[in-house]
Amino acid sequence: MPAWFDDFTAAIDAHEQECLVCEACGDRTLPPRQFCPACAATELTPEPLPDRGEILSYTEISVTIPKFRGETPYTVVLVELAEGVQLTGQLREATADEIELGDEVRLDTEPRDDGLALITFHPAST
Amino acid sequence: MVATIVSAASTKYDNYPESSSRELFGEAAAEAFDGIDLTPADLDAVYVGNFMGDLIEDQGHMGPLLADHVGAREAASIRVESACASGGATVAQAVQAIEAGAAEAVLVGGVEQMSLADIAHVTDALANAADDVYENEQGLTFPGIYALIARRYMHEFGVTQADLAAVSVKNRNNAVANPLAQFQEEVSREDVLESKPIATPLRLYDACPVSDGASVVVVVSETFATAHDLDASARILGTGQSSDAVALQDRATITHMPAAERAATAAYDDAGVTPVDIDVAEVHDCFTIAEIVALEALGFYELGEGARGAVEGETALDGRLPVNPSGGLLGKGHPVGATGVGQLVELTKQLDGRHPNQVDDADTALAHNVGGSGASTTVTILGGA
Ligand SMILES: [Zn+2]
Repeated sequence: MPAWFDDFTAAIDAHEQECLVCEACGDRTLPPRQFCPACAATELTPEPLPDRGEILSYTEISVTIPKFRGETPYTVVLVELAEGVQLTGQLREATADEIELGDEVRLDTEPRDDGLALITFHPAST
Repeated sequence: MVATIVSAASTKYDNYPESSSRELFGEAAAEAFDGIDLTPADLDAVYVGNFMGDLIEDQGHMGPLLADHVGAREAASIRVESACASGGATVAQAVQAIEAGAAEAVLVGGVEQMSLADIAHVTDALANAADDVYENEQGLTFPGIYALIARRYMHEFGVTQADLAAVSVKNRNNAVANPLAQFQEEVSREDVLESKPIATPLRLYDACPVSDGASVVVVVSETFATAHDLDASARILGTGQSSDAVALQDRATITHMPAAERAATAAYDDAGVTPVDIDVAEVHDCFTIAEIVALEALGFYELGEGARGAVEGETALDGRLPVNPSGGLLGKGHPVGATGVGQLVELTKQLDGRHPNQVDDADTALAHNVGGSGASTTVTILGGA
């Protein structure tokens, strides 16, 4: 896993997660970027990223890639954390049957055996 | 300088675990050159669409390898890779070379040999079309990405799993009459809805299969065709291509496909036609939801209305706009790098009046090819010769 992602997930663990905001147009995006995807400006400033967001979509995965073999079924959620900033991660402490689009979830990470971090989301009530 | 298709051929799409990319590509090319007064030595270039040769066969550098294997060792050759849109992107490159006057005769082909690997390895290789860090490493699979699109689309537009299944039923049943199609058995809506879940709400029969196969078209300039007394089968009236963020999470919307809209607009403008002029279309239905959002992006339906096509029979063989009469990716199969070229093979037959699922009076046809979950899209518009 690239170093930038280790930095990104370490910041989540420290409750200091950030997104990048374009000084020219206000577009928010996730690291690492040198150019704003909306206007191609290069002045991007880190700003705090909320740790709570809303489920935009989700799927329970039964057939997976070798890395996650033996872990199925698991649920992946696509969450909007701030306007324009969406993040993909695995759902914890609930099953696909127990969530709905629009539910509030909380961002976290989880270490894996290979030393890499996984993005996770938990129901905001837990 | 209008690019003209003078021959088109495909292998049957199927699983050929005993074969290889070079054999499949050679088989399609041999059929394409059979019966036309042109030899591979006349080619200026060989362009090859291929996605995972290096991941499955340990074989990169497919351009010269395959040019050599079709008897065109000295032609300019290159592999074009744009995930599942590799075939369509290859066509666009060839048309641009001909329109620029840089080439007069090009073999445009695509090939994929996927069944050599087990399904987990193939799923892993296909995942290369997604954002590795933000998607794959988080456990998101390729079907999973389309499942996220499907779930959100169903929520926003009140579409059901049965509506999605109608796309699979239509396309798989179209495949039965196509001898080049991988699936040759009729399915019912119940078969689709009862097939095993792969990434909810999508099930196995909402997804295209793992396929091997090759497709080629011989594309020449109009002046070259005249000079060599070659009969045109179809003319390439327009092409369009556009991109979007690779990761679904980075898109402005996940329920429609702006890259496809941009590619379609460019292709319609280039061809000087509008959606109402299209008589038959081959669209990229790697999953049932993909055909629905494609029909909207291509201007055939308003946003949220695309499911009507299959549900109400408007995109059936006898409907007002037949979509995927070949069987599509769902029924015909999806040898990734070949698919976009295979669409042109099917449409060339339609315009030539010799397709097994012939659409009456087909004169203008559209092919739509997608890479990843919508990050690259090509649209090609063909006219009768
Ligand atoms: Zn900007």
